[in-house]
Amino acid sequence: MENAKNQIAFKGTADGLVIIIPGEMETKEILEQVALKVKAAEKFFRGAKLKVMYRGRKLTEEEEEMLVQMMVVNSGVSIESIRFDPEQPQPEREKPSKLSGMPIRKIFFKEIEEGPCKFIKGTVRGGTRILYEGNVVVLGDANPGSEIVASGNVVIMGTIRGMVHAGADGNRNAIVAALRLCPTQLRIADLITRCPETYEEDTFLPEIASIKDGVIYVEPLGK
Amino acid sequence: MGEVIVITSGKGGVGKTTTAANLGTGLSLLNKKAVLVDTDIGLRNLDVVMGLENRIVYDLVDAVEGTCRLKQALIKDKRYDGLYLLPAAQTRDKNSVTPEQMVKLCEELKEEFDFVIIDCPAGIEQGFKNAIAGADRAIVITTPEVSAVRDADRIIGLLEANDIKNPSLIVNRVRHEMVRKGDMMSIEDIIDILAIQLVGVVPDDENIIISTNRGEPAVSDNKSMAGQAYRNITRRILGEDVPFMDLAGQGNFIAKVKKLFGFRSA
Repeated sequence: MENAKNQIAFKGTADGLVIIIPGEMETKEILEQVALKVKAAEKFFRGAKLKVMYRGRKLTEEEEEMLVQMMVVNSGVSIESIRFDPEQPQPEREKPSKLSGMPIRKIFFKEIEEGPCKFIKGTVRGGTRILYEGNVVVLGDANPGSEIVASGNVVIMGTIRGMVHAGADGNRNAIVAALRLCPTQLRIADLITRCPETYEEDTFLPEIASIKDGVIYVEPLGK
Repeated sequence: MGEVIVITSGKGGVGKTTTAANLGTGLSLLNKKAVLVDTDIGLRNLDVVMGLENRIVYDLVDAVEGTCRLKQALIKDKRYDGLYLLPAAQTRDKNSVTPEQMVKLCEELKEEFDFVIIDCPAGIEQGFKNAIAGADRAIVITTPEVSAVRDADRIIGLLEANDIKNPSLIVNRVRHEMVRKGDMMSIEDIIDILAIQLVGVVPDDENIIISTNRGEPAVSDNKSMAGQAYRNITRRILGEDVPFMDLAGQGNFIAKVKKLFGFRSA
């Protein structure tokens, strides 16, 4: 890892090859390192057709052309296209599993209908953290500063004012329902949303939050 | 056998010490034998508010460590019959006392007094743990500010976790003019969040500053609004059903509070 900062990195993805170029690297050095890398894996590249993306330093058109030439000459690969990917080569994006401290899993219990369930009677107060692998039902309010993290659904028979995270192990089918839904933050699986500032505190409108088309939607319950 | 009541809030500056002083004094005015215990070791204030600072010889830490007998550390308030103060040490810190020692201390004081009023320090650390260790019940103080209510909520959670169930609530420093204009949280808003029993509402009163500076609790001042509120709270602690003061000058205020009150305790 010591010299990772001034090294070119290759990454294979479903969309093709991604070359990660450190921000301050000289063009000459880029070409040298790419040549070396490609040569080392000549067998792999020979005859292959590749789409190439690169991240980090933006190259000029000339430099892009030189890069492609360098790869072709050194390995016999044919490059279909080359383009700059503006996404920063961030080390590792925070995974949803780390978001609320629930281990992420590939398999959940079937949809949202089943699973173990934890009932909490009374108010969940600030500073309280509930972490449960299953569904959580609160018979009372959840106050600001509280955190409810469940791998399944969360149902609150009262007002939710704290943070709530349903489907915390990655289950995007999970839901959050409450008699009054105004959490400081609402999370389902890897998505995070906030309550609108203009929330009417006086209205008692049961609502349900779920993910549709990759966005958290909040709707009146029973619609 | 007496009762140990801890006065706590989480947030600092909401009026724990003032409330403790006034409740203790109020209880003694109703012919109860009460002792005020200041557990804010290192930042003692209760003696100042009571005007007894110059009479301290021994303190709580001395009594706990056995430097003196418990009786020697108790200061008798000559103005009010049956009122005593156990001051905190000023040159030590919260770690000088353990919760076990506090339990023992409270047991001893309970033998002697009808009420042991414990003034809790701000925060949720050692000082708080000491203060609640020997308590039978708790009174949580808050002001109509979001931050104070948040901290009160946390404190209630911690009290419940330590088996001190059903704490009572005092909302201090309420300015009804501001509440009416919608610039301040109302009592209803606060009870809605905290969901505990309301035992008193104390209006914001300049006289409190004067009386704490003089070392004369406001509860003994018949003209003070806050004093009246504290007298009512004292009687409610003794189990009397005292109607809430009509502080806002709105007829439906009491009815509203009562309704909420009844609803919650039902």
